[in-house]
Amino acid sequence: MEVKLEKQYPLAVDSARAWALLADLEATAGCMPGAAITEKVSETSYKGGVKVKVGPATAQFAGLVDVLEVNAAERKVVMRGKGADKGGSSASMDLTAVITDDPNNPQACVLNGTAEVIVNGKFAQFGGRMMVQVSEMILGQFVGNFQTAAQALAPVGGGAAAAASGAAPAAAPAQAAAPAVGKELDGLAIVWALIKGWFSGLFGKKA
Amino acid sequence: MNAPADSKEARELALAGMGQSRLRKEDARFIQGKGNYVDDIKMAGMLHMDIVRAPIAHGRIKSINKEAALAMPGVHAVLTADDLKPLKLHWMPTLAGDVAAVLADEKVHFQMQEVAIVIADDRYIAADAVEAVEVEYEELPVVMDPYDALAPDAPVLREDLAGKTEGAHGKREHHNHIFTWDAGDKAAADAAFDAAPVKVSQHMYYPRVHPCPLETCGCVASFDPVRGELTTYLTSQAPHVVRTVVSMLSGIAESKVRIVSPDIGGGFGNKVGIYPGYVCAIVASIVLGRPVKWVEDRIENISTTAFARDYHMDGELAATADGKILGLRVNVVADHGAFDACADPTKFPAGLFHICSGSYDVPAAHCSVKGVYTNKAPGGVAYRCSFRVTEAVYLIERMVDVLAQKLGMDKAEIREKNFIKKEQFPYTSAFGFEYDSGDYHTALKKVLDAVDYPALRAEQAAKRADPNSPTLMGIGLVTFTEIVGAGPSKMCDILGVGMFDSCEIRIHPTGSAIARMGTITQGQGHQTTYAQIIATELGIPSEVIQVEEGDTSTAPYGLGTYGSRSTPVAGAAIAMAARKIHAKARKIAAHMLEVNENDLDWEIDRFKVKGDDSKFKTMAEVAWQAYHQPPEGMEPGLEAVHYYDPPNFTYPFGIYLCVVDIDRATGETKVRRFYALDDCGTRINPMIIDGQIHGGLTEGFAVAMGQQMPFDAQGNLLGNTLMDYFLPTAVETPQWETDFTVTPSPHHPIGAKGVAESPHVGSIPTFTSAVVDAFSHVGVTHLDMPHTSFRLWKALKEHKLAL
Repeated sequence: MEVKLEKQYPLAVDSARAWALLADLEATAGCMPGAAITEKVSETSYKGGVKVKVGPATAQFAGLVDVLEVNAAERKVVMRGKGADKGGSSASMDLTAVITDDPNNPQACVLNGTAEVIVNGKFAQFGGRMMVQVSEMILGQFVGNFQTAAQALAPVGGGAAAAASGAAPAAAPAQAAAPAVGKELDGLAIVWALIKGWFSGLFGKKA
Repeated sequence: MNAPADSKEARELALAGMGQSRLRKEDARFIQGKGNYVDDIKMAGMLHMDIVRAPIAHGRIKSINKEAALAMPGVHAVLTADDLKPLKLHWMPTLAGDVAAVLADEKVHFQMQEVAIVIADDRYIAADAVEAVEVEYEELPVVMDPYDALAPDAPVLREDLAGKTEGAHGKREHHNHIFTWDAGDKAAADAAFDAAPVKVSQHMYYPRVHPCPLETCGCVASFDPVRGELTTYLTSQAPHVVRTVVSMLSGIAESKVRIVSPDIGGGFGNKVGIYPGYVCAIVASIVLGRPVKWVEDRIENISTTAFARDYHMDGELAATADGKILGLRVNVVADHGAFDACADPTKFPAGLFHICSGSYDVPAAHCSVKGVYTNKAPGGVAYRCSFRVTEAVYLIERMVDVLAQKLGMDKAEIREKNFIKKEQFPYTSAFGFEYDSGDYHTALKKVLDAVDYPALRAEQAAKRADPNSPTLMGIGLVTFTEIVGAGPSKMCDILGVGMFDSCEIRIHPTGSAIARMGTITQGQGHQTTYAQIIATELGIPSEVIQVEEGDTSTAPYGLGTYGSRSTPVAGAAIAMAARKIHAKARKIAAHMLEVNENDLDWEIDRFKVKGDDSKFKTMAEVAWQAYHQPPEGMEPGLEAVHYYDPPNFTYPFGIYLCVVDIDRATGETKVRRFYALDDCGTRINPMIIDGQIHGGLTEGFAVAMGQQMPFDAQGNLLGNTLMDYFLPTAVETPQWETDFTVTPSPHHPIGAKGVAESPHVGSIPTFTSAVVDAFSHVGVTHLDMPHTSFRLWKALKEHKLAL
């Protein structure tokens, strides 16, 4: 089961701070609901996990995240994650994330994400037709957390100006600022959010 | 002693023999929940097995770590291919001359393939331990499309066959090629096409579907280490074949292997094969010396045990300008999955697909079937049909419609024109089959009259003329011939054993009887209908005739129940065994009445002296005499065994007509009318025939309108639960109207042809014919199944017919 996502999320934070957070993989992972980096294997390779709970069933994906490219000039990160769950599911994701300036507002920026997610096994079999919606939900939560965490960072130099000069990420450990997100991804909460989204869509409101 | 005789009618009624709608003897226990299925069997010390399965469709196994699972309390063993290797049981032969992995040996070839087994105290511990077995895979490129599989640079799926250029059915041309099988006369067919003024061709895909019986597959294996005997309760449609295979694989003498098929909750071809789960449970029982139960769940059933169909077909018809068929050519690419485990007679890798000239007098025909490996589960069974006959009937019936459309002829008219005529039987087809009997013209007329066909066409024309009509109306017509009762052992065998079947009848001293059979009922009602045949043949009330099947220790050897072979083959064996008894009984009666055998007449339940109704002996009296004081020099007792090797197949046929209304806004299809006329020769129990036809039509409806096994590009099966896989209930099922004609089989002892599969085989193309007919006025010649609302809605949009 393959899902391709291409999304732009406007963030209410300047691009320098957003980039500072994005470049710190462990901190970024901390914004992913249910995800955690457990071990740094090398400079570009991490071990991590995602825990998903749907009712009484819990799936724990454990795997590797490889950072393929960190391009400070373009504010771009490319990474590949691969993981498997003991219960018979596996997943891989190629993700490209780029921070771009908001031309109209120096205090805002845009997170551009392109992801190719391949899911095999039980998750694909049972969750197949919900994949796109669920992925979008999770990304939505991630972006919310990401924005909060980036806003909590100390401003980098002179904001947009400093970012334009390609300043190094802020020294402040992003982890400390990361919001307290749930330890696992609660499937029921997702389903509820999906239903709400569907209803608002149905009645023409913006989800 | 000779009491005044009751009336003939009363005696006939008391027998409840052939032709009577006797109530099913099986139902009393089923409707009270007193059936005895495999999962009902509990044995002292019984352990439970569960299976670790591959999450991916193609990959190399890098490591398997059992430690965590073995450490769990209640877990007795975890076995992998490496554990089976010393026993040479990590691979097993298939019925199609290939081998299949019992547990994945270094590689997995399809999603949910068996990788390891866990044996534990109960089912729950086993399931938990399955999750604790850690398997590491290296993913390999996946091949899901059989055409892609044949590309020169396609990934090699079966590394174990490297360098093997000769398969069980001839030359292998490519690393993912299994066989190419031809039938008919290619030169003659080509010549017919070269000369023909009209030619049509059509590509069609018959999707992969699953028989999905209500009861899944399973077994309880119990090896007695003291006696060295193996008893296995197993959901098998062919228990004797299983016994032979188990003996061959295990090295245990066949006399020490006992296979019991208890009550079976539907088979439909899904329970013919021998699955890794069975082999593993048996091995585990031998290794642990305790009974081991394995029952698959629904997801495992749909995902791994025996699918059906998956034929990509190209058909061509050549004809005269006025619609007389001159030639037929068919090319098929058959997706067999990762291992060729089709259950077909040995010599026929595409089963009896070459019945695809159908009910028509086709002078020249040729077909070619190419079997291909892909990363899907193995199988390819006859899902409520004789071997690949559903595919064949679908092909020819679609093609005849396509030809009619090209010529602007009516569906009924073109069929009438090409039918094999009544006086042509026995008719030898271009593929070499000898059709035993048929009267297609009479049957077609009966159906067209019953539904007032011209009125339906007029209604359709009126609807088409109305641009605001909310529905599209379609009329489907199919005039099919099946080929069942495999089969003559000169043509048909399974693993070298001829496809005969058998019956043993014992008449007890007090006139009741027991019959033991090589077949096994899975809902067909054998216990009811077999007894009716004996009742009529021997004059014993069917109520006191016990029919036993499924226990290889007591039943005579038989090839089992599938391909509508029970009545054509085993039913004949019953009649023949009964006639042996009848011959002996006549001698005894003659002795008792002190007359010559030739002076006796048989009447319903008694031998009577010609010309004197008061002098007679009933079969019950004869039975007593046989045990009490047989004629001098005659062996006591009254019993017989018969092994029946049929001289030919039987050829039941039917005419089905269906009217659908397709909602132009939603694509939803309503089956307004379905009229099914079946001719199965002599009718044994009309009520059971009706039930069989209702069931077969319902399963046909399921296949045509909703069943499919969708895979994504990675090989994930996206519809393996009953949430997705369509099993119609009373809510979705249309109303069925049934009818019949009777054209007995001339070569069958009682003239019966078999019926249970005809409605499945015949109805599927009828639904497609009706749905396509609704679109035919805009030039649509074919729409692939399943005809779901979504797919039809898309077709409505595409052809600008949507409202």
